[in-house]
Amino acid sequence: MSLSRREFLKSSAAASAAAAMGMSIPADLEAKASEAEHGWRWDKAACRFCGTGCGIMMATKDGKIVAVKGDPAAPVNRGLNCIKGYFNAKIMYGADRLTKPLLRVNNHGEFDKKGHFAPVSWERAFDEMEFNIRKALKHGGPEAVGVFASGQYTIMEGYAAQKMMKAGFRSNAIDPNARHCMASAVVGFYQTFGIDEPSGCYDDIELTDTVVSWGSNMAEMHPILWSRVTDRKLSNPDKVKVISIQTYTHRTSDLADTEIIFTPNTDLAMWNYIAREIVMRDAKEKIIDWDFIKKHIVFAAGPVNIGYGMRRKGEKSLKPEYDSGAAGKYSAKEMEIVNKEMTTIVSDTEAPALKPYGYKAGDTMKHTGGTLGHWEISFAEYKKSLEPYTLDYVAKICKGNPDESLESFKAKLQELANLYIEKERKVVSFWTMGMNQHTRGTWDNTLAYNVHFMLNKQARPGSGAFSLTGQPSACGTAREVGTFTHRLPADLMVKVPAHRKIAEKKWMIPEGTLNGVGKQHIMAIHRGIEDGLIKFAWVNVCNPYQDSASASHWIKAAREMDNFIVTSDGYPGISAKVSDLILPTAMIYEKWGAYGNAERRTQHWRQQVLPVGDSMSDTWQWVELSKRFTVDDLWGEYAPSGPRKKALPDVRKAAYALGYTGSTTMYDILFANKIAKSYKLDQEDPIQKGYDNSECYGDSRNVVGSDGKVFKGYGFFIHKYLFEEYAAFGRGHGHDLAPFDMYHKVRGLKWPVVNGKETPWRFNVNFDPYAAKAAKGTDDEFAFYGKIAKALKQGNLTHVTNKKKKPLPNKAKIFARPYMDPPEKPDAEYDTWLATGRVLEHWHSGTMTMRVPELYRAVPEALCYMHPEDAKKKGLKQGKLAWVESRRGRVKARVETRGRNRPPRGLVFVPWFDERVFINKVCLDATCPMSKQTDYKKCAVKIYSA
Amino acid sequence: MKIMSKISIGFVSATLLLVGCGETPSASVAPTVAPQANTEDYNGLHVIDENELGYRKSSLYAEGKKVEVPEVQYSKAAPGTSNKIQRAYQDAPPMIPHDTEGMLVITKDNNQCLQCHRPEVAEMVGATPIPKSHFLNMRPVNKIVNNKLVKGVDNLKNQISVKKTTKLYEGRFNCVQCHAPQATNVKLITENKFQPQYLSDDGAFRSHWDEQVDKSLDTVGKDSSVTQDDIANKNSEAGESVFKKH
Repeated sequence: MSLSRREFLKSSAAASAAAAMGMSIPADLEAKASEAEHGWRWDKAACRFCGTGCGIMMATKDGKIVAVKGDPAAPVNRGLNCIKGYFNAKIMYGADRLTKPLLRVNNHGEFDKKGHFAPVSWERAFDEMEFNIRKALKHGGPEAVGVFASGQYTIMEGYAAQKMMKAGFRSNAIDPNARHCMASAVVGFYQTFGIDEPSGCYDDIELTDTVVSWGSNMAEMHPILWSRVTDRKLSNPDKVKVISIQTYTHRTSDLADTEIIFTPNTDLAMWNYIAREIVMRDAKEKIIDWDFIKKHIVFAAGPVNIGYGMRRKGEKSLKPEYDSGAAGKYSAKEMEIVNKEMTTIVSDTEAPALKPYGYKAGDTMKHTGGTLGHWEISFAEYKKSLEPYTLDYVAKICKGNPDESLESFKAKLQELANLYIEKERKVVSFWTMGMNQHTRGTWDNTLAYNVHFMLNKQARPGSGAFSLTGQPSACGTAREVGTFTHRLPADLMVKVPAHRKIAEKKWMIPEGTLNGVGKQHIMAIHRGIEDGLIKFAWVNVCNPYQDSASASHWIKAAREMDNFIVTSDGYPGISAKVSDLILPTAMIYEKWGAYGNAERRTQHWRQQVLPVGDSMSDTWQWVELSKRFTVDDLWGEYAPSGPRKKALPDVRKAAYALGYTGSTTMYDILFANKIAKSYKLDQEDPIQKGYDNSECYGDSRNVVGSDGKVFKGYGFFIHKYLFEEYAAFGRGHGHDLAPFDMYHKVRGLKWPVVNGKETPWRFNVNFDPYAAKAAKGTDDEFAFYGKIAKALKQGNLTHVTNKKKKPLPNKAKIFARPYMDPPEKPDAEYDTWLATGRVLEHWHSGTMTMRVPELYRAVPEALCYMHPEDAKKKGLKQGKLAWVESRRGRVKARVETRGRNRPPRGLVFVPWFDERVFINKVCLDATCPMSKQTDYKKCAVKIYSA
Repeated sequence: MKIMSKISIGFVSATLLLVGCGETPSASVAPTVAPQANTEDYNGLHVIDENELGYRKSSLYAEGKKVEVPEVQYSKAAPGTSNKIQRAYQDAPPMIPHDTEGMLVITKDNNQCLQCHRPEVAEMVGATPIPKSHFLNMRPVNKIVNNKLVKGVDNLKNQISVKKTTKLYEGRFNCVQCHAPQATNVKLITENKFQPQYLSDDGAFRSHWDEQVDKSLDTVGKDSSVTQDDIANKNSEAGESVFKKH
């Protein structure tokens, strides 16, 4: 093949477009044997896995997937996938797919919590769910009905679940696993910008000069973004700098110019060090863009004694307290850490950072539960907060590799600050779980924006602090649809009466139906089950019994208490095993769907194949459940319960006034109303033509449905209805989504999509029509138009001095936030840091990827990666089993001292994908008290030979 | 040699499974979770113990002797001496059949994979040559001109850009992003029923994707370009902004 140097462009109608443009297609690139001749059907889809959101092309033949390739037309990945992306082809074909509902029964076939699983009909499954939901509602009202939701739901599934939970059951106890992955990022966005999600887009990678990865192993966790970074770096190696800031060495560092290994949690101090350099050197070097700051920024602070998001004294499962130090269901060992939720003693490490806030070493800090509250402060106060972060202090507490010299570490910190500060240099800071899974994760996120704002390197092409997301639709479904306890679609909040009213109107339900108390986040759901408040819980598209820290508590509560746990899944994972009822569930390409990625790109796909066995989608399961409940069943009065201190009103009369009767079902109101039915099934529609739609038509399997009859489909296009109705919340509201059909014609679009045009950089008037509108009549280049927390009281670093709120339209915030210790650090007995996370080849809890032979053989088990010296000192041998033990439990894993992850002495890394190495039994369920996101990156363990 | 025989056994048994339980969903609660002989008698009811679900076969509630993860071995065969592993399907990335000890930190200054897999030398040393697809840069150049984003191609028309490169496209530099060594001694936790179809005689061992990059991308047929009607979205009552009347 001769190499042509000429770039050519081709539309999908290749030849004609090329001809029209006057370009020729080299003969050797013209298609030879077309796959069409082999009976293959290619269609576009989104990858099932990470938040990068790659486009794939998927081939099917005879109702089975036969191949996957990278989509050259997909802007995210342009023809390339990572190893997981390619093996989307195989994820639905593991031999142990669930094919029938399974219920725990006794030997009479009756439900029995202690029984074994027996296959049952869908009708029986819904009978049991209905019975147990009614029981739970009677016991504790809507707060007793919980859902473990997901950042891997399709947008339509998440919306259907949210609608039935909040409008139907009037329960806000629905919260996604995305809580564990980006809640700190969200609160960071709300606090800083007043609106969720990143200002930038992936084009920043090609446009920047500097990539700084903060605690993120992008090479394995966002491989295609890393491939773009690699391309950028290697195509201009002298100019482009890559800095890898990590707690242990891994593949991301392998490409970097500089690697900084820091002590867990001290990233807070490094961000403040960079900010201090900017502020203290400004007088001399004119670093800060004061014009930008004056126009667009206010400074802010909030309380620091906010605890660590653990259980608090007085909670049911912490009673009674024993002389031994144990409390309720928690051992004395566990309570050593849990007690820090109430009080800590200020350590020598954190004392200098806390000095501006009035604390000194040895002081007792009394913590009150996390608050989102904050107030405006002066720049002088902010500057005061930065004074402690001298190079000496920061280097001393941050240096994470005991074998590196302090001088070497200091030089790297200075280099880092200088790269950010360099006048014409563009900088992108990326992070994911390292900064989000952090007991001060919200603070850490806001600290990133501080640095970028002061340099006016935010919301500009090639520059910005960019929070990457972990899951394929953590943005699209969890955040944008708002499948969180406290949210409604498009940044509307359940606690705001006007927002509830908007949703009630759209959903055609009576005013006052929605519950205004949204406090049952995912750890509160686990804890609520352990406390006996929640009696019914349903797991959707996630694996909370494997993925939650302090796992022994939650699996015990599920199995030993009086409750009913249901898991919908494709495969039997740990959550299925601890459930009372397991529902066989259609997987990704067995249904129509849409995901939203980390650059605000929404991508749709069509159903490629029929589901396996009797599996049906989560959407179908929610809609079928809705048929079991009527207005009179659900919309009466509910006494106060759990976090809700007021009664929920009886809205039945208002419902009758809307034309409903007592026996109108939630199905009729929420899912099969007149508007829904206007979305027609039509085989002439080029979008629908030739594609299965199991929910709308039924399918050739003739699955016997929830009423004991063969399911023949809803008869209208429910996915399109659900998507369009959801989109109505964001249109005209800064979250505009394009029409359903348009997404099927393109490879995704970045919202806000206004008049068919996507938005690459938000808040920048050159690129964002909402910013342009907000800045109209001025010559401002930016408008931070988010609406949340945009009026503040005034104060200083320690307290409010003037309670009158001052509005701050179109402004963003820079926060004073100190370094603080995490609640558990290594000590004499538990002498090693434990960090957990993923590996490239496996996705989350491994239920899909462990069943793909190539991925399984690549990494067949979770290893305990550690430094060879540590292994030697502890008498451990490469490849041999060791116990990894914390105050909460222990697991066995094989020691790996030569692997891809190379920790410094004093830290081990154990991934969590392997159900045989159940590492979340060891992890601590401390969370960022503001975001409620668990810190999986640090706890203290001891390791010894098994 | 060893790898090949193991893999072909895998395919054979997957085929058997398909034949055995293909069309009757009730029988395919999956062979791996079939009730064990020692499950209590439930009046003849077909029941499954929780420990038989999934691949962790011991109790979830105790971490004892029974929880065992395999001791994993990867190929010890030196590069050039091992048998190639069949691609998972047409144009799927091949897995690494040889020992990678000491090779696998790929840095910007040192990528050992390229030494043998460069097309110029690959055949000579018995390595799989890097295919032509890896010498294509398909990322269009987007630029900022006068504070406007000028895209290299029109995404609304699903245009693609294909540029041949003289050296490996840098975005493919991190070889282990797609290609991984395979453990040779582990038993799969469950079979996988995926059935590959190769479109050419050498499809199991060679990529032909470079010949296909621009094909089959037009997924909505002749109506695939976005129209003003699409953007106007006139017939979508549910989709009308909730803020219209506020």
